[in-house]
Amino acid sequence: MQFRLEKRREPSRLMSYITPFAAVLLTMVLGTVIFSLIGYDGLGAVREIFLTPLTNSYKWQDLGIKAAPLIIIGTGLSIAYRANVWNIGAEGQYVIGGLAGTGIALLTYGMTGWWILPLMVLAGILGGMAYAAIPAFLRTRLNVNEILTSLMLTYASVQLIYYLIRAPWKDPMGMGFPQTRLFSEAARLPTIIPGTIVHLGVPIAVIVGIVAWFIMTRSVFGYRMRVVGAAPHAARYGGFSENKTIWLAMLVSGGLAGLAGVLEVAGPFQRMVPGFPTNYGFTAIIVAFLGRLNPLGVIVAGVVLAITFVGGEVAQTTIGLPNAATGIFQAMMLFFLLAGDILIKYRLRRVSPQPSVGAA
Amino acid sequence: MELTLAILITVVGASTPILIAALGELVVERAGVLNLGVEGMMLIGAIAGFVVQFHTGNPYLALLCGAAAGTAASLIFGFLTLSLSANQTATGLALTIFGTGFSALAGSSYSARPVTLMQPLFPADLATHPVLRVIFGYSFPVYFSFVMVVAIWYFLHKTRAGLILRAVGENDQSAHSIGYSVIGVRYLAVMFGGAMAGLAGACFPLLLTPQWAERMTAGRGWIAVALVVFASWKPFRLLGGAYLFGLVMTMELYAKAGGGPLSAVPSELWAALPYLATVVVLVLISIRRDASTNAPACLGKPFLPAN
Amino acid sequence: MPNRLELTGITKQFPGVLANDHVSFSVKPGEIHALLGENGAGKSTLVKMIYGIMQPDAGEIRWNGEPVVVPNPKAARKLGIGMVFQHFSLFEALTVLENIALGMDAKIPSRELESRIREVMQTYGLLLDPHRTVATLSVGERQRIEIVRALLLNPQLLIMDEPTSVLTPQEVEQLFTVLRKLAAEGCSILYISHKLHEIKALCDTATILRGGKLVDTCDPKQETSRSMAEKMIGTGLRDIVKGEGRVLGPPKLVVNRLRTGKTGHFDVPVDNVSFTVRSGEILGIAGVAGNGQNALLDALSGEIIGDDREAITIDGYGIGLMNTTERRKQGLCAVPEERNGHAAVGDFSLADNSVLTARDRLGMVVMGLINSGAAKTYTGKVIADFAVKALGPASTAGSLSGGNLQKYIMGREILQKPSVLVVSQPTWGVDAGAAAAIHQALVDLAAAGSAIVVISQDLDELRALCDTLAVINMGRLSEARPVKDFSIEEIGLLMGGVHGTTEGADAIPA
Repeated sequence: MQFRLEKRREPSRLMSYITPFAAVLLTMVLGTVIFSLIGYDGLGAVREIFLTPLTNSYKWQDLGIKAAPLIIIGTGLSIAYRANVWNIGAEGQYVIGGLAGTGIALLTYGMTGWWILPLMVLAGILGGMAYAAIPAFLRTRLNVNEILTSLMLTYASVQLIYYLIRAPWKDPMGMGFPQTRLFSEAARLPTIIPGTIVHLGVPIAVIVGIVAWFIMTRSVFGYRMRVVGAAPHAARYGGFSENKTIWLAMLVSGGLAGLAGVLEVAGPFQRMVPGFPTNYGFTAIIVAFLGRLNPLGVIVAGVVLAITFVGGEVAQTTIGLPNAATGIFQAMMLFFLLAGDILIKYRLRRVSPQPSVGAA
Repeated sequence: MELTLAILITVVGASTPILIAALGELVVERAGVLNLGVEGMMLIGAIAGFVVQFHTGNPYLALLCGAAAGTAASLIFGFLTLSLSANQTATGLALTIFGTGFSALAGSSYSARPVTLMQPLFPADLATHPVLRVIFGYSFPVYFSFVMVVAIWYFLHKTRAGLILRAVGENDQSAHSIGYSVIGVRYLAVMFGGAMAGLAGACFPLLLTPQWAERMTAGRGWIAVALVVFASWKPFRLLGGAYLFGLVMTMELYAKAGGGPLSAVPSELWAALPYLATVVVLVLISIRRDASTNAPACLGKPFLPAN
Repeated sequence: MPNRLELTGITKQFPGVLANDHVSFSVKPGEIHALLGENGAGKSTLVKMIYGIMQPDAGEIRWNGEPVVVPNPKAARKLGIGMVFQHFSLFEALTVLENIALGMDAKIPSRELESRIREVMQTYGLLLDPHRTVATLSVGERQRIEIVRALLLNPQLLIMDEPTSVLTPQEVEQLFTVLRKLAAEGCSILYISHKLHEIKALCDTATILRGGKLVDTCDPKQETSRSMAEKMIGTGLRDIVKGEGRVLGPPKLVVNRLRTGKTGHFDVPVDNVSFTVRSGEILGIAGVAGNGQNALLDALSGEIIGDDREAITIDGYGIGLMNTTERRKQGLCAVPEERNGHAAVGDFSLADNSVLTARDRLGMVVMGLINSGAAKTYTGKVIADFAVKALGPASTAGSLSGGNLQKYIMGREILQKPSVLVVSQPTWGVDAGAAAAIHQALVDLAAAGSAIVVISQDLDELRALCDTLAVINMGRLSEARPVKDFSIEEIGLLMGGVHGTTEGADAIPA
């Protein structure tokens, strides 16, 4: 029996909603098989990674704080990718946002006042924007590919952390550890549920997602992003300059990555440490795609990816699965999702002797 | 003199994997495919090469297995982008994420376990000669990379198969309508790119640091992708570009080792230098107007026959 | 002697369309056989099956009397079938020689190939430098490569798909000479076209297709253009109704020494173009493709912004520095040649496509937010008024057929009641019914006082539709004159770059 792809008259909305879920399910199924084959407890791995974080209420707060940065960054990336602007340096913009916030926290060390935290947040957003402005400038002025520049700047940003916390920003009381001192109370992100680690960043993330969804679906800004991404030539004809769009896309995605960075350093970390770059910026790429570049979808996808992070840690302690397995599961989800994309524009038809017989 | 020779030899070692990976990507891009998964394929090649070297001690087998592993990884990319016409940028990124995770998982039980480095190709008299070692002191991949520069140039410009490959990258619809298998040619190119990236990855444990470390290719795969742009899709320019980067990275090594004028600059800056240099190089090349016009016209666009 | 090619009951089904429905005809050795039909009649599908690009669902192909299956183009060439495509399958970055080598199935050493190419070129007067890069060649020269490539295989049947749509009348004559010579040597030619006078001039037999079915096989020399056209279209021809005794108003669109920079690699910019269009006037701009038409449209629409405010004026007001959005607000709407991806976004709904150009003129945006209700209402009106076959405003543009999408796009602009409308190739690839509707809408818009510029390669269309005509060649525009003052020969000469002695002098400064 043979199958043939046949172009649909209209792209299938149904398929674009179903395929992300199918990708997660397929990952669970194939993950079980693969990890069993290579000598791990495959079923256990999938159970611990995908289900335990949901069934174990102790893990819910972990989910929230892991999902928050993924959603914030993923939202920004979903906007940029819509416009076909390939910012893959969100990790670097996240780092610079975190560093900018750290700078304010260290400058205001020992001070009190409500204004410190908002100032840090502002600095973080501006830091992320500034770092994203470099690839934007190079792309619009010199036509340099933003994929490569934004990524290279990410590698450089990590070195900047190492330098700052080794020398100028080093904690004087840190016994030689390369890290900054613990932020003052006024520079720490408050928790919103007493007795938990759930900080203000979690509701911010949800709000960012919802606001972005509204803007992307209802406003001229969102229309601009969508039309430039779908048909740049038509966008120009419709009066949307490509360069301005690239700038907007880079600044928004960079600013949001910076916001995630500052919330992360002021929340869970409360100081700058070498381990601050936690790959949220890269994982958010998967989040953006799994969320179908739709900010509401990104919220769901952010939670899914947070589950795999939390579950990966669980599996490490309970069944001794190396942490790297999480990355494989995440990549598999993205593979399956990309493979499923074809079903949006095409349908699978069985080719049989009687042309009338066919199944979708 | 002694130091100069030592530096030169280090430069060659640092440049070789980048050159090999970039040569593979050049062929892929000439066929009209943009595979951003070079970094991931290199990591997969690195762990495969390491494991084989660890268990067999046969570096040639290790290189071969590295290349095979890279090819296998490239087939995932090929299937998604060529058979299912998935977005090439996203699929390449996914491949890199996958390669990072896969190599880390496969290597998790091998940390801090050394292997032996690959021996020079030529007899010890030549390979350890105080001066001639600059020419004869390298192991197989170094000479292989030089041969491949010439071979790929010859293939692309002097053979019919190379002409077909360029035609496919230039105008896939026309190539299809004349009767060439666009998808078939691209599969072969992608597999070649995967083999070269895998082999380049295997060079890391075999030539540079004789052990396994997570993410040990440290962005070299991305630099290789950038170099292809820098070289305007021409093999000989790639040679120059790769050695330029080898030089930058060697300076980093010497700065970290301490001593000399290089250590006055913070070591983190040296570490960041290859990446910043990549940005600078991309800027310089784009200022030269004709650069982007050499890009294969169909680069990165999925191919769907018009009918 | 058996027929060179004989088709019996060829049928090809596509999703939703029966592209060929039991088509049967035959071609004799040395015969020049026309395949005539409108866009979408199934001509291209039919020849693609002969050339092995597609396979018929049913029917038989006989080659020199033997039944054959042609699995791919390579097999077709092996049989002795050559094809020259409408859209050339050439590689811009490669040389003529490399391009021809790619089209050869056997591996021929490049020196030997070169001498054979030169021989063919000599024999048929198709002169070209084998070492030039295709990107530097004109469209006519590119077609010669395709023909040489096909002739090198010594074909017994040469398929020409709409070969003259990109040629000047003089180049067409040269082509016909080559084709007649080939036919005299015994090579059959299957000549696909919808240009009736060419078929009458060239072909021995004509097979007419309509809606995938064979309508008639006739001798074109025995038919009139009108009788063949009616067979091709099916119903009686509709003529454009122009109001009697129209009086043109004052100058509306005045273009004065407009020029553009060289943007793309292979682009032809416009150079010192000047013309005036009065209220109620339709100005036609003729020319061979690739002579600056796209740059002219972009410069008028605002996609390319110049540096002289007064280079383009509407009612005396300079708009030369404005972008597309501002120009639309000033009343200038434009429709580029490329429909999908330029004039419309295939993945967007029609309602979203209306937002693309009508959002400001029709108040679809309030405080940065899109009023999707207004967009839907307007789109519904376009669909109704222009008889667009679409399920509704939510259908994606990509799901429409070419003709329907063109009707939607023309409707979207015309219903905005622009005071100046610039359109390129308004009926390209559109069936006759839709073309007539579009022509009538343009005439009606002009009658309401708008100034209209129609850029087209279809001389018949321009002569029927326009009040005045100018010809663009290598980015330069000839003087505009009333259509009736031009002869076909004169237009042809202008299209080929041969300018009149005196009359063009002030319009084309050296």
